[in-house]
Amino acid sequence: MADVALRRVSKNWGSFVAVRDQSLEIRDGEFMVLLGPSGCGKTTTMRMIAGLEEPSSGDILIGGQRVNDLPPRDRDIAMVFQSYGLYPHMTVAENIGYPLKLRGIKGAERDARVRAAAAKVELEPLLARRPKELSGGQRQRVALARAIIRRPTVFLMDEPLSNLDAKLRVSTRAEIKHLQHELGVTTVYVTHDQIEAMTLAHRVAVMNHGEIRQLATPEVIYDRPADLFVAGFIGSPPMNLVAGTHEEGVFTAPGGLRAVTRVARHAGRAVLGIRPEDVTVAPAGAGDVDAAIYAVELTGDAVLVTVRIGEARLIAKADRTWRAEPGSAVALRFDATRLHLFDADTTKRLNPE
Amino acid sequence: MKTDRATAARRRRLIMRAVESAILLLVLFLILFPILWMALTSFKRPVDLFDLTLVFTPTLDNFRTIFAAPWNIGQTLLNSTIVAGLTVAISIPFSTLAAYAFSRFEMRFKHALFFTILATQFIPAVVVVLPFYLLFRDLGLLDTHFALVIVNLAIVTPFAVWMLKGFLDAVPTESEEAALVDGATRLRVILDIVVPMVWPGVLVTAVFCFILTWNEFLFALILTRDDAVTLPVGITRFRTERGDLWELIAAAGILISIPMFLLASVIQRHFVRGMTGGAVK
Amino acid sequence: MQDRRLKYLLILPAALIVLGTTIWPLAISFVTSFRDWRLTRSLTPGPFIGAEHYVTALTDDPDFANALRVTALFVVIDVTITVVSALGLAVLLRRAGVLHSMVRAVLILPFAVSPALVGISFRFMFNAEMGVFTWLAGAIVPPLQGFVWLAEPSTALLVLVFSDAWRWVPYMALVVLGGMAALPREPEEAARIDGASEWQVFRDVTLPALLPVLAIVAILKTVFALKMFDQVVTLTGGGPGQSTVTLAYLVYSIAFRWYDMGYASAVAWILTAMLMLLAVWYTRLVLRKAGA
Repeated sequence: MADVALRRVSKNWGSFVAVRDQSLEIRDGEFMVLLGPSGCGKTTTMRMIAGLEEPSSGDILIGGQRVNDLPPRDRDIAMVFQSYGLYPHMTVAENIGYPLKLRGIKGAERDARVRAAAAKVELEPLLARRPKELSGGQRQRVALARAIIRRPTVFLMDEPLSNLDAKLRVSTRAEIKHLQHELGVTTVYVTHDQIEAMTLAHRVAVMNHGEIRQLATPEVIYDRPADLFVAGFIGSPPMNLVAGTHEEGVFTAPGGLRAVTRVARHAGRAVLGIRPEDVTVAPAGAGDVDAAIYAVELTGDAVLVTVRIGEARLIAKADRTWRAEPGSAVALRFDATRLHLFDADTTKRLNPE
Repeated sequence: MKTDRATAARRRRLIMRAVESAILLLVLFLILFPILWMALTSFKRPVDLFDLTLVFTPTLDNFRTIFAAPWNIGQTLLNSTIVAGLTVAISIPFSTLAAYAFSRFEMRFKHALFFTILATQFIPAVVVVLPFYLLFRDLGLLDTHFALVIVNLAIVTPFAVWMLKGFLDAVPTESEEAALVDGATRLRVILDIVVPMVWPGVLVTAVFCFILTWNEFLFALILTRDDAVTLPVGITRFRTERGDLWELIAAAGILISIPMFLLASVIQRHFVRGMTGGAVK
Repeated sequence: MQDRRLKYLLILPAALIVLGTTIWPLAISFVTSFRDWRLTRSLTPGPFIGAEHYVTALTDDPDFANALRVTALFVVIDVTITVVSALGLAVLLRRAGVLHSMVRAVLILPFAVSPALVGISFRFMFNAEMGVFTWLAGAIVPPLQGFVWLAEPSTALLVLVFSDAWRWVPYMALVVLGGMAALPREPEEAARIDGASEWQVFRDVTLPALLPVLAIVAILKTVFALKMFDQVVTLTGGGPGQSTVTLAYLVYSIAFRWYDMGYASAVAWILTAMLMLLAVWYTRLVLRKAGA
């Protein structure tokens, strides 16, 4: 159990910068999720912590000790790979036991620990099988068991759920959360799925183009996104973002959209953000702005209403029984306490004073 | 009418199929005939050769003759086996290690190195044979297995590195990285993880290189005289003042070719990928 | 990290082998090409004479000019026939069928036969008195009865081409088949639905997509044709006269019949230079394809 720190770490290949001068402190026992789209640098960052890539500059510390020059096997880490990285010619038991075999732990002690690790992930009946005989979910559990068998200092997980089907993903997610809580090991988890980030993390580092855009708890990321990228990335369906102008506390956009913000200072181009669940649909004329219905989608637990205001389109979340025809007129009501405002040029969040 | 067009189309298709079958039969004939003819000839008595008959009384005399003095094809066969076997045994392990390094690591001069290795495939043997001849002559190593193994290593090693890299590139690296994280050294990873996953590719490469060495002619021609003669050169020696002893040549030819056919059929599927180094799948 | 040192160690043995067995003799041969050295006169290398050998070869040697002509002729005919035949054969073999499987099964056999043996075997089959092909040709085309294929310069070259094509067409067909298997099916199916005949589908969709593969095949075949040596020795011995002396064979005969080491090296290097150009072209093609 230890903390992990990155101090001004960069990684570039030739002229391509994958990670740009980033610093990050991960606390002992924390579940840190690196979240972002493909190519944002999250996997590269994790691989540098693992020792599978060398930083171009900067320091990586585990437990306060600089590990840049240590190979992976000396860093006391365990890793679950995206495609699991199992050893195809070994049985499940041999796969799980390999880390112990490398450390010279033999015989009965190794068998007992393999069995214990397998039990934790419910793999005991499959110990004699080979990876190719297992389903995706089972292979993933083998990878997990192999990671936990040593009680390492740090767990690293590289998109471990992305190769599972949707239903399995949900149940395995819960298992991973439970496991981490039980073992209390510092965990760094990479994903592009914002739901995984929200449900699993103590804190989330949202990354894009090699930089951390925001580092905060899931609630803060959701309720107070630091810039346009984070705002648009988190939340499903995504936050509505409307371009317009802001002056003296009032935001206006073409089509008649007008909102009162509590931001005093900014004057000029701005983007208004509001989440679909904070927009209610009302009969025409009875809300903050009028609009025409573009599409109505039933998701089972709610109804997503897409409307047109001028050139912009907004999504509102309505009650599951709500119905209307495309083209008909409605009004939207915004929850004024849940408005977000961003500077259109710097993309940063503008906060009320 | 519609049905007329359908029948015409069907008839056209039938004719096409017939022509296609005829061509394929011709191809089959062209490919197999020289081989079969040589096999046939090896069982003929000299007198049968001029008759070009398919029906004759077969004899094993030719095979007996080539193994006896003065031809001693047994010794030649042994030479070929030793040279090919040693070449492969030396080349494959080193080539595998090099191929692994090329496949998995970034290196400063990687492209240059790899191009050099590729380029050696384009070098004609004739430009290299002179220096070797002169060198071995000075060292008194002409007509030895050693000399042949050295030159065959030249032919085979770049090719093996190229082919093995292709096979290794196809093996995903995740299991190796998992082993590194689990605690293995890089060498341990190669032994424990990579070799078990890539051994079919190694086998294919080894067989390929064995065939190349077994069939090699130019170096054997120049660098041997009596002691280290290999089969392809040995076969050119079946002549007297009267002319070529075709029946003996055929028998020796069968001796050279059958083992190679067996080996080739074992690795048939991988033949193509090897020569083009993954450029064509 | 220890990987940093290890990776160079891993390459070292193989690199040493290549360096010692290829680069070094290449260098020696290059140096020798600038010296006057006849083994019949002295056992040690003679004096440096600059590029004299190269000049002689390119301007003043009828044998070289002849070999150049023969080689060019051989390569053009051989590569054209091989590539076209391989392509045609691959197209035929694309479909499934009993005959198709049988042909596909024997495609690697010619390649497994020693080229020297192929030369001998073809010399036997085209022999004037007991050659089976001589007989067959005479049976099908009566005026050809008793025709001595290997005694006429033009036909001897053709037999040489035939023997080389026999070796390579099946193998190249396999390569093209592999290339075709990697092509997506949809464009062809779309063309068929649009109304194209099989020939049109092939000409307008398949062939353009196959061009990278065919280019690689053509270059490789050119390289192998330029390098070809074994069959010349065993099939024609360069004859009749000098009509099948290729550049590779010329080097051999200069070095080991006339023992003129300097001149032989120069001719060998002229051939090598041609091949290096092809090597560069090939690498560029392969790299482009890999990146595409």
